[in-house]
Amino acid sequence: MVVPLNTWVLISNFKLAYNLLRRPDGTFNRHLAEFLDRKVPANAKPVDGIFSFDVVIDRGTSLLSRIYRLTDGEPSQPNMAELEKPVSSEVVPVIIFFHGGSFAHSSANSAIYDTLCRRLVGICKAVVVSVNYRRAPENRYPCAYDDGWTALKWVNSRTWLESKKDSKVHIYLAGDSSGGNIAHHVALRAVESGIDILGNILLNPMFAGQERTESEKRLDGKYFVTLQDRDWYWRAFLPEGADRDHPACNPFGPKGKNLKGVKFPKSLVVVAGLDLIQDWQLAYVEGLKKAGQVVKLLYLEQATIGFYLLPNNNHFHTVMDEISKFVSSNC
Amino acid sequence: MKREHPNLHPRLDPASAGSSSSGYSTMPSVNTNTNDDTSCKAKMWEDDAQADGGMDELLAVLGYKVRSSDMVEVAQKLEQLQEVMGHVQEDGISHLACETVHYNPSDLSTWLESMLSELNPNPNFDSVVMPAQPSIDDSFFTHPESSTITSIDFADHTHQRHQEQRKTNKHSRDVVFEDSSSSDYDLKAIPGKSVFAQPHQIDSSSSSSRDPKRLKSATTDHLYPAAAAASSSSTIGAGAAGSFGVSTESTRPVVLVDSQENGIRLVHLLMACAEAVQENNLTVAEALVKQIGFLAISQAGAMRKVATYFAEALARRIYRLYPQSPMDHSLSDILQMHFYETCPYLKFAHFTANQAILEAFEGKKRVHVIDFSMNQGMQWPALLQALALRPGGPPAFRLTGIGPPSHDNSDHLQEVGWKLAQLAETIHVEFEYRGFVANSLADLDASMLELRPSEFESVAVNSVFELHKLLARPGAIEKVLSVVKQMKPEIVTIVEQEANHNDSVFLDRFTESLHYYSTLFDSLEGSVSTQDKVMSEVYLGKQICNIVACEGPDRIERHETLTQWRTRLGSSGFVPVHLGSNAFKQASMLLALFAGGDGYRVEENNGCLMLGWHTRPLIATSAWRLANKQVVAH
Repeated sequence: MVVPLNTWVLISNFKLAYNLLRRPDGTFNRHLAEFLDRKVPANAKPVDGIFSFDVVIDRGTSLLSRIYRLTDGEPSQPNMAELEKPVSSEVVPVIIFFHGGSFAHSSANSAIYDTLCRRLVGICKAVVVSVNYRRAPENRYPCAYDDGWTALKWVNSRTWLESKKDSKVHIYLAGDSSGGNIAHHVALRAVESGIDILGNILLNPMFAGQERTESEKRLDGKYFVTLQDRDWYWRAFLPEGADRDHPACNPFGPKGKNLKGVKFPKSLVVVAGLDLIQDWQLAYVEGLKKAGQVVKLLYLEQATIGFYLLPNNNHFHTVMDEISKFVSSNC
Repeated sequence: MKREHPNLHPRLDPASAGSSSSGYSTMPSVNTNTNDDTSCKAKMWEDDAQADGGMDELLAVLGYKVRSSDMVEVAQKLEQLQEVMGHVQEDGISHLACETVHYNPSDLSTWLESMLSELNPNPNFDSVVMPAQPSIDDSFFTHPESSTITSIDFADHTHQRHQEQRKTNKHSRDVVFEDSSSSDYDLKAIPGKSVFAQPHQIDSSSSSSRDPKRLKSATTDHLYPAAAAASSSSTIGAGAAGSFGVSTESTRPVVLVDSQENGIRLVHLLMACAEAVQENNLTVAEALVKQIGFLAISQAGAMRKVATYFAEALARRIYRLYPQSPMDHSLSDILQMHFYETCPYLKFAHFTANQAILEAFEGKKRVHVIDFSMNQGMQWPALLQALALRPGGPPAFRLTGIGPPSHDNSDHLQEVGWKLAQLAETIHVEFEYRGFVANSLADLDASMLELRPSEFESVAVNSVFELHKLLARPGAIEKVLSVVKQMKPEIVTIVEQEANHNDSVFLDRFTESLHYYSTLFDSLEGSVSTQDKVMSEVYLGKQICNIVACEGPDRIERHETLTQWRTRLGSSGFVPVHLGSNAFKQASMLLALFAGGDGYRVEENNGCLMLGWHTRPLIATSAWRLANKQVVAH
């Protein structure tokens, strides 16, 4: 059970910084958070064949998304008017990505997520749309879900994202940690509204429940994460007074929805064996299975949270391969 | 600096228990597998790391500058902080979050060190609280299964690896610190923590520097832990200034707001026209410019205005109807004042520059500000007030304002000075003023400024959106920077547009500025006062015209990026003074007061602060001091 040194440094650094930002009274030191967060600008000049640009997709909420694309082998850099040039392939997967951060941290332009999204573009030959959703505690449930839904509608209505094969946008929802949770809930809304989602990719998705599970007790404080901080983030996100059996964090719990017979997208769920909330993630997988949904579980026994942020371990490559297969299997 | 190199590999070190490592860092593991391949691979990784100036590439991409050779030390600091924070009361942590000023979080080692000092004020590191057992779960790092992953090894054979290190700890599970050739520790031994928040100014890079000779030349007895005003770039490799092993090529950040059909067509036309101009295909260009004019009318919002200004500039270039230069100064002052009111860019510039000046002037009794961008003197009332309120009372304040001659023979520089003098009197700040008229900053010589000895009077040089103009004439910027050095300033504050509008290729310049001003105009859309907005647009429109229609010495809006300025200032003998989380926070709060405040964002960038619209930085504030300046104690 070993991690590369620089991964350990990276995750420990986040843990340390995050400890400074959460206040016992439930408020969050947003200014310090933004100061400490390492951000990168979008770049319309291709790097390794991938360029990016930001779009404000909802002026009212200042909802911004960062879009990553492959240059279609064109030598010149796209200017402002060419950024939304129609995709040229028969089938182009469009992955709507929700970054992690336990609903409170990070942004679409955080360096860790900009890097991850660029990797996804290369690996899946996809367009990636990274949603800069509103965060807790300033914006509680259901703001993040609303923003995800807005982004989904926006993506679905972009003609330039339509695959040539069927003039439709081939949409996948993906996210890590809180982003995984958001992906699930946006998929729910999509299903209810008749928007087709081809698949959900959940990396270490953030779920919880009122009871304390075995993994939570066993792994509390052992691998960067504590139950105490998990609780804090749920208190910050969930409506005031709600407990952790709220369907937002416990979709298959006592207040959850029954998905039997629902045309829910197939799911790829990645669970890290050293993540203390794995029992809830595994329960989620079980819940999908019981409802007759297609779900593939990728359980990485020796992985900690954040393993996918650096490409210096086998888990990273395993997961990227799986994601690539998951996204291309619809072609 | 010697790297620990062969000694790190336990296979080669008989005393150690472990064997192979496939280091993505340079640390060995304690696993018992002996694997020839992986240890060779380890060497390969290490060598790769060295080739990049030692920076861990993977972390660099994520925004953190950590040398591979420092990784262990950084890990140890993290561990230590975890341990200490675990023991400290909540107050201690909240102190770190609220009171402490943080600087340059990209430089992990220094940042961690500063927090350690906050929590462990004891300067003697022997008595620093050390865990008897490492706080991490041991099982995390021992019994590695996979031979492809390294571990942190805290067993006592560690000390054999650091053979050149002085301090070792005899207890078997204790974490060993790097020795004091990381001379930051030498400095820590000097007693006397500053009472005032004084930036920790040493002449070298952060604690990760291993060059004792360099550090010993610096003297400081102020150990404010939160800052390291060091130019790390000068030790790492000046060519890569600002980069952490990431490409130093320029980026083009774009924020689209309205992706309407006409907007895109307009941009297409503008680009086509610019290309035609570049190819000297003036008939085509002329036709396109007319088309743009028609199309622009039908467009709404920022895009229409931007397109109109760019089209006009293109037309001027095509028809050789170059704009008069320079513009009547009083008109440009008025325009600038409206710009000041409408949007936060100038206010941010003044605020952040003042913050740096205030900190640099801490404890000084007599101060002299030399302002290259005097205009209406809007920056100075706030600084005067802050100085008036400082504990211990205000310093004697001298201001030298430099500006171009006015067309109507009025002495506006003197008028501005007079108004400031009146303000100073009401708030009881001893005030002295001198206005200097100069066509160009390059006409200045230090001897003209009546500088007083630096032990007697501390100097700040301030330049807001002025330096780029000097790039229009060869030798001008070099002259000015050398004159600045002669002023022996405590601090030099520079605010510039965050864009490269000085490319020698016209089309590139055009494209960059089109993106930049589109974003800038977008940010103005939310303003309440129409008149202010229009004036601001005219103000910006003049810049657009200059960038697109002018050439040679007339083209003065030669904006360059922070990365470019860093390189230039670094090679001219200046080192950065970092702006911290306090300035960041207050600047962010200031933004909330502006309409459309939601879109304005402050970003921290290696000790500098940038203001942008959404995710696109538009202006950058940086602060500098002389590389060989000694910090004077008092």
